[in-house]
Amino acid sequence: MRRTAPITILTLICALLISMAAAVALGPSGISLGSFFTSENAWMILWEIRVPRVIAAALVGCGLAVAGTAMQALFRNPMADPYIIGTSSGGALGATLAIVLFAGTGRPVLAFAGAMAATFAVYFIARRGGKIPVETLLLSGVALATLLSALLSFLMYTAGRSLHQIMFWLMGGFWNISWNDVTVALPILIGAAGIYLFARDLNILALNEEDATHLGVNVEKTKLILLALSAFVTGIAVAVAGSIGFIGLITPHVMRLIVGPDHRFLFPAAALAGAILLVWADALTRTFTSDMPVGILTACFGAPFFIYLLRSRMKA
Amino acid sequence: MKPIEIIDIDVSYGAKKILEAITFHAEAGEILGIVGPNGSGKTTLLKAMSRVVARDNGEIRLDDRDLDSLGHRELARRVAVVPQDISIGFDYSVRDVVMMGRHPYIGRFASETARDVEICDHAMHLANVADLAGASVHGISGGERQRVLIARALAQEPKILLLDEATSNLDVSHQVEILNIIRDLAGEITVVSVFHDLNLAAYYCDRLLLLKDRKVYAAGTPGEVLTREKIREVFGMEMLVRPHPLTGRPYVLPVYMHRSGAGANRRVHVVCGGGTGSDILHLLHAADFTVTCGVLNILDTDYGTAMHLGLPCIAEPPFHGITTGSLSRLRECLESADTVIVTAMPIGRGNLDNLRVLLDYPAKPVIFYARDHTARMEDYTGGEAGAVLTELEARGALRIEGAEELLACFSGDGPDPGC
Repeated sequence: MRRTAPITILTLICALLISMAAAVALGPSGISLGSFFTSENAWMILWEIRVPRVIAAALVGCGLAVAGTAMQALFRNPMADPYIIGTSSGGALGATLAIVLFAGTGRPVLAFAGAMAATFAVYFIARRGGKIPVETLLLSGVALATLLSALLSFLMYTAGRSLHQIMFWLMGGFWNISWNDVTVALPILIGAAGIYLFARDLNILALNEEDATHLGVNVEKTKLILLALSAFVTGIAVAVAGSIGFIGLITPHVMRLIVGPDHRFLFPAAALAGAILLVWADALTRTFTSDMPVGILTACFGAPFFIYLLRSRMKA
Repeated sequence: MKPIEIIDIDVSYGAKKILEAITFHAEAGEILGIVGPNGSGKTTLLKAMSRVVARDNGEIRLDDRDLDSLGHRELARRVAVVPQDISIGFDYSVRDVVMMGRHPYIGRFASETARDVEICDHAMHLANVADLAGASVHGISGGERQRVLIARALAQEPKILLLDEATSNLDVSHQVEILNIIRDLAGEITVVSVFHDLNLAAYYCDRLLLLKDRKVYAAGTPGEVLTREKIREVFGMEMLVRPHPLTGRPYVLPVYMHRSGAGANRRVHVVCGGGTGSDILHLLHAADFTVTCGVLNILDTDYGTAMHLGLPCIAEPPFHGITTGSLSRLRECLESADTVIVTAMPIGRGNLDNLRVLLDYPAKPVIFYARDHTARMEDYTGGEAGAVLTELEARGALRIEGAEELLACFSGDGPDPGC
């Protein structure tokens, strides 16, 4: 444990609160801070639109970061993330099916089921002799994501009337977020807390699986539980905000450099940083780009980061 | 009640059998070494004991409890494993890694207590890594990292410690340092270790288990297991087995020679002494010559070599001249030999007859062999030996220097053909 870790986490908590407050104040409608307390209309915008939207962004960012952190340790592979592995695509397909078939009811459930199926599929495709090499992991992720997006395209093609809605799941964003969506997103915290209980096991699993067995970790059971919890958290995040990429890749990386690899500190740090990152990304897109899907922005700075990681791994 | 008991286990990977009908046990507090050639199943046997690989049948009992009845955490509290150098992907500190040894004692909803910290400190002290506690596992040497893994295993407070060639990637000083730590732990802990190096195994283990082709070939004390015959049978290689001059444990040295067969059907008698003939006795024996030697004193190193190789050797008791009985046996050897080799040995009254008798066989080819240019025949007879040597040389005895040239001479492509 690094001595600075608790201070970092405390700083991140403050930063998140400030960021959320700032994000609530920011917006394209040009309402001044003072008018919130005088104009009923402004208060409506604030309370019914901005506040739930910022809270949802924080929850989704937190969920994606925690799932990414868990997956990186689980796969012993710092390139893993729910978006790259195909979990997000699986969730998006599930959510789309819910829209097309059931007019949106059961969206979180189907998103979770899709995320789960995609995660385990990649896990079993990529596994060779108990190990998951980077190459096969990334390639199986790409292959599966291609298949899933073909299915999504098919759904878009056949279901013309909900085209706009389906596009949303592909790009990811926070339009039309209501308090109802915040309620849907809340179980992310339960999933993240569940994952946190396995922080010490993940520290050990990050060494290697055989060693983890020697130290008393029930490896197969732990992996199954953690994959399921990660898929659960990702599935909900996708059900709320579509597939937003790279939050789960970048935050664990940066936080590992700051607080160290101990997951007991890495999880809270990454969760807070993921929330801050997505709150700001959303605030910026809705303020300056007339509500462009936030997934476009995260992909714009996420993909170069991914390429940088790939290059530095190839050197090592 | 044995700390660990293996009863008739088989292990296979898929259709491939790795271990067959393995039965053995370890005594409390001993160091049991597992040795054998590559692919004989040593590591797999260790993995079966730590339950990393499943066995097809048979039973493993720890303190009379079935291995399979133990939970993951319970097993980790009894059995700790020190693997070969593992790569640690994330940048943990030494203390972080050692603390992982306490994992089986700390509940899911708890965190480490002062006692856990104390046990870790003690383990780091025993493994001699206490000063490294704050260092990153990436910033320390391979030997240090191996000691960290030992400290982690000790933090588990195990009854049984399993080592999988835990030192084979290290240089010899680090190997000895780590094995000394392990030996100091034995007594309280039962140690089962796979060894690659037979000499380290012979020195550090109380008992050895020798595996060959998936089965136990031999078990017992190092002296019982590491014999020349067993090593030849299992490793397919000639080894010299001697007691280590300081420890008295068996010490093995490979004989780095191929059996060439060049000497088949040829008899050579070697007159040597004072250790001057040991090298060519090995060499000629390995090249399939029929070798005899003597007359030697039974305290002579060359006599020991001849006995070790099982060569017929005429010998006398210590400080004894050559008796007529020995002399007539020497004549028998000389008559049947195709060639006689005389090494660059010291010649005194006691062995002068070995040379003198050669004068009676003028037609017999004689080679004076010197290991290198510094080796010469020291004459302690006041000139008598020198006269005999001059006479033999006048009759055509060859002088050959170096073992390679000797063999080349025998194979007919040396500078002096016709040996």
